Amino acid sequence: MIVNTKWLEKYIDIPYSPEELEEHLTYIGLESKIQKSPVDKIRGVIIAEVLDVSPHPNADRLSICKVSTGFDMQDVVCGAPNVAKGQKVPLALLGTVLPNGMELKPVKIRGINSEGMICAEDELGISSDHSGIMVLDEKAPLGMELSEYLSGEGTSIDIDLTPNRPDCTSHIGVAREISILTQGELKIPEIKFKESEESTEDYIDVEIENIDGCPRYAARVIKNVKIAPSPQWLINHLKSVGIRSINNIVDASSFVLMETGQPLHTFDYRKIEGKKIVVRNAEEGELVETLDGIKRALSKDILLICDAKHPVAIAGVMGLSNSEITPETKDILIESAYFSSTTIRNGSKYLGLSTEASYRFERGVDPEGIINAVNRITDIIIELAGGKVCKGIVDKYPKKISPAEVKVRFKRINRLIGIDIEKSWVKEIFEKLGCRILKSDDESVQVLSPTWRPDLEREADYIEEVIRIYGMHKIPSAKRLQIKPSNEVNSRYDLIEKLRSILCSYGYFEVFNNSLVSEKQTQFTFKPVKPVKLRNPLSLDMAYLRTSLIPGLINTARRNINRRNCDLQIFELGFIQYFDPDSETHAMEILKFSVLITGAIEDEHWGYQIRKSDVFILKGVIEDLTHRFGIESLKFEKCKNNYFRHLLGTNINGKEFCYLGQINQEYLQSEWSIEVPIYVLDANASVLLDQAKFEIRYKPLPIYPAIERDVSILLPEKIPIEEVNQKIIREGGELLREVKFYDLYYGKNVDNGLKSITFNLVFQVADRTLKDKEVDKRMLAIHEVLKNDLNAKLR
Amino acid sequence: MNLLDRAEEVRFQFKKDLFKVKIDIQSVENFRLRYLGKKGYIPALFREFTSLSVEDKHKCGKILNQIKKESENSIDTLKQRLNSIGIDEDFFDYTLPGKLPRLGHLHPVTQTMNEICSIFREMGFGIEFGPEVETDYYNFQALNFPKNHPARDMQDTFFIGDSILLRTHTSPIQIRAMEKQKPPIRILAPGRVYRNEAISARSFCTFHQVEGLYVDENVTFCELKGTLEIFAKRYFGKDVKLRFRPSYFPFTEPSAEVDISCFICGGSGCRVCKHTGWLEILGCGMVDPNVFISVGIDPEKYTGYAFGMGPDRIAMLKYGIDDIRLFFEGDIRFLNQF
Repeated sequence: MIVNTKWLEKYIDIPYSPEELEEHLTYIGLESKIQKSPVDKIRGVIIAEVLDVSPHPNADRLSICKVSTGFDMQDVVCGAPNVAKGQKVPLALLGTVLPNGMELKPVKIRGINSEGMICAEDELGISSDHSGIMVLDEKAPLGMELSEYLSGEGTSIDIDLTPNRPDCTSHIGVAREISILTQGELKIPEIKFKESEESTEDYIDVEIENIDGCPRYAARVIKNVKIAPSPQWLINHLKSVGIRSINNIVDASSFVLMETGQPLHTFDYRKIEGKKIVVRNAEEGELVETLDGIKRALSKDILLICDAKHPVAIAGVMGLSNSEITPETKDILIESAYFSSTTIRNGSKYLGLSTEASYRFERGVDPEGIINAVNRITDIIIELAGGKVCKGIVDKYPKKISPAEVKVRFKRINRLIGIDIEKSWVKEIFEKLGCRILKSDDESVQVLSPTWRPDLEREADYIEEVIRIYGMHKIPSAKRLQIKPSNEVNSRYDLIEKLRSILCSYGYFEVFNNSLVSEKQTQFTFKPVKPVKLRNPLSLDMAYLRTSLIPGLINTARRNINRRNCDLQIFELGFIQYFDPDSETHAMEILKFSVLITGAIEDEHWGYQIRKSDVFILKGVIEDLTHRFGIESLKFEKCKNNYFRHLLGTNINGKEFCYLGQINQEYLQSEWSIEVPIYVLDANASVLLDQAKFEIRYKPLPIYPAIERDVSILLPEKIPIEEVNQKIIREGGELLREVKFYDLYYGKNVDNGLKSITFNLVFQVADRTLKDKEVDKRMLAIHEVLKNDLNAKLR
Repeated sequence: MNLLDRAEEVRFQFKKDLFKVKIDIQSVENFRLRYLGKKGYIPALFREFTSLSVEDKHKCGKILNQIKKESENSIDTLKQRLNSIGIDEDFFDYTLPGKLPRLGHLHPVTQTMNEICSIFREMGFGIEFGPEVETDYYNFQALNFPKNHPARDMQDTFFIGDSILLRTHTSPIQIRAMEKQKPPIRILAPGRVYRNEAISARSFCTFHQVEGLYVDENVTFCELKGTLEIFAKRYFGKDVKLRFRPSYFPFTEPSAEVDISCFICGGSGCRVCKHTGWLEILGCGMVDPNVFISVGIDPEKYTGYAFGMGPDRIAMLKYGIDDIRLFFEGDIRFLNQF
């Protein structure tokens, strides 16, 4: 909503500068921003008069203009089609820099010297209009700076209105708010026109079929008007709030809309058949052509304004072209109505068409302001277009809209705000807002809201008014807070943050990926799921909720690799969603974390060797992570999935927990154009957090020495290490404290089909020093078993 | 097989001593002589080896050679280190770059959320979570957004079904908490939210919120102001000024937007605050009685306040980031800066 200070001053004296007004309005809840005119910054564009126009000798489209600034005269070459003798125009002098950066220098255009430029609006940065030069009012003073001249047109302020304030969608509404601040008096324009003998009733009858959609409809006929361009003052007023002038009748209704907030519609009366207006719902699929020339199919919830035969307007949204005001129009019908906000909103949403009218009806217009608006537009039309006003207004008001009556308790005001507010001041403010005080005593005040404030329905709404006008910035902050720690402790947050920070401590970078993905990306799962689809996605690439964090991580990896960040260790923690297999509508939501690694896992550094990513790094991550959450001895199983080359899976207490592996290179290549190996881990964070145990019991440190031994064997290649490990543990018995696998070697000096492996064994008991002999015995047993059971050869 | 045992012991001892050797010429040489010199431990083992039986020799030979090889390698490494330090025992090139510990980074928005949460947790707020796929009831109706009300336009919504949607704010968590707990209630609701808005440098289809709610007897607007003032001073610095101005949210009444004095220019006006001197950082207000009624809390007995802020936006302001999409691109050169 844009208001103009000069326009506002018609209704209220403003003792503030535009900047002060901006701040005051903002402080009472009308968030305001001065619209800076680009012209303000221009120096050197001054008002000049075109004294003479002659054709350019060497160019058909150019003319040579003799212009005067009052103190100087010069020749300027101009290419605009609309330049004419006698015009007042903005002239950019030599040396001036225009908003587009152009600096004016003396130039020769096709052999003729040009000492300046007559500007179009786009060159001044005022609008994008380049159809011709800007022509100023003939009274514009010669030689004045354009910026100074235009500042006399007032300052436009853009108010970001909240949806609860329909009353401020007009200049009078904003002026009323200013009057509360300044204690000034609101000046409502007087109505001056005289009615003729002919009665409106003889020309029009109104029938409302849907009284919920249209509780009130008023109409008047004016005969014999003369359609003409609007006068300059009206054009300027509308322009200052961003409305383009059309003709005197249409502009008059725009003016009254911006003045009072009541949307009006004007019909060409001769195009209304049967002297009748019918307000009814559209038929499903009914086709109409709106004023903007677009054919639209309607739904049965849309309200139509019809004559005896055809629809003539979509109620509260836009008129139809069949009844439009044209230069030939003689008699007009004015509509001023109250349509229900829901009806208009649904219609506007359905059509995808939002207009100045629908914006106001959706928020709720003043049901009692309707007659005044008709009279006001009548007055203006008579002034601008002449004509005869038919007597009376046809006013159908089948469903009375009554303002709410509310009891406001002073105690409640003070209890909610936290300070005592003067009772008399509160009553005064209510009156200033236009409320009627019905009753009041020491405890409370009974008020009736003004009809233009449909938002004032409850006590809470009035308390808000009190605090709004009192000034939130004046209310003190509590110095001592009463809030005390909550005993409802939800440890989930701490666990999640612990998980994040452990992953971070491994050297991994946390990333955020979009939760909205393409259908294809939802297929990347470990078991088939039904993904959740959006009804109204931004695009097909973002039409589903993600079913896995992995595609997002791969995408991030690809982006990084393309930017030559090839060594990556990244993770994300977030929700995935898919439909519960047992229910078509209930979406399951699972907290996951996934890790992706590729390239070197360490930074290059002198004197150190770099390690490359592999599956075992991720296996180590998940082993250490679960250990830190109190979960021991994970069992891994080999799994199969087409997206993976190698895949391992593991459970926690029978609950599916984690998969990790190397992504299938063909898939990476074809789907993502990634050439390098990528390893990922995908884990269900909820399972980890639910199963986490933090009961640490200290184990006494050993006091007796340990004996270390190595087991080095040659083993058939295909025997898993874990099998050897289990045998060593079993044979080592209670003396064996720890087994560490630490060397694996193939190749030179090892026969084909064999591998050379080494374990380090630590023997130790808590209550005595072990003897070599005891350990030797165990070692012998281990060697025997490995030899017999696994066909191992000692090295 | 006593020899094997002794050999293992020598190997063990060698490893232990290796770490204690000082890196200077004399110490390294002494260490070498102790193990590999003519009278050293390892040649002694070999001397013993010669007296073994053929069978035992077979068993021990490999191990002894291995130990000898290992020791020689280790001493070579020591000598190399000696050389790299230089002949001059006192020369030490301290300009060589250190090896940086390799730690990861939390996402800047995570860091911001955690900082916000920790300040409010100190004041006594607990943390609650809720689903991202929500119902119209929790996201709108219970929060006093009537059906077909223009207020719904303030939050463009992604729909999944007629009344199933992606939450547009974390306020549904407040409703869920009020259904579950009895006053006094003080919770924070952090999480990811979704808006169906065109993607640009200034808006992304998903972002984050942290909301707070306090319900008790006699919670006042003064208390709300006091709480947010403490937060702002803790988070943005103690000189920061706050500006409360009336606004509208369906779930609070009165409602306010809170601006802080621009911490870049100190309030004098700059590009970041668009020359206003103020930065809008959060919305707040007193819980609307209709919200209390929808969760079965008596609005006559209890009052409450609620507030909400966007950590993405706060992080952007704090770090001077001009494009929200950077948060969702995962470029490690970006993430490495936080």
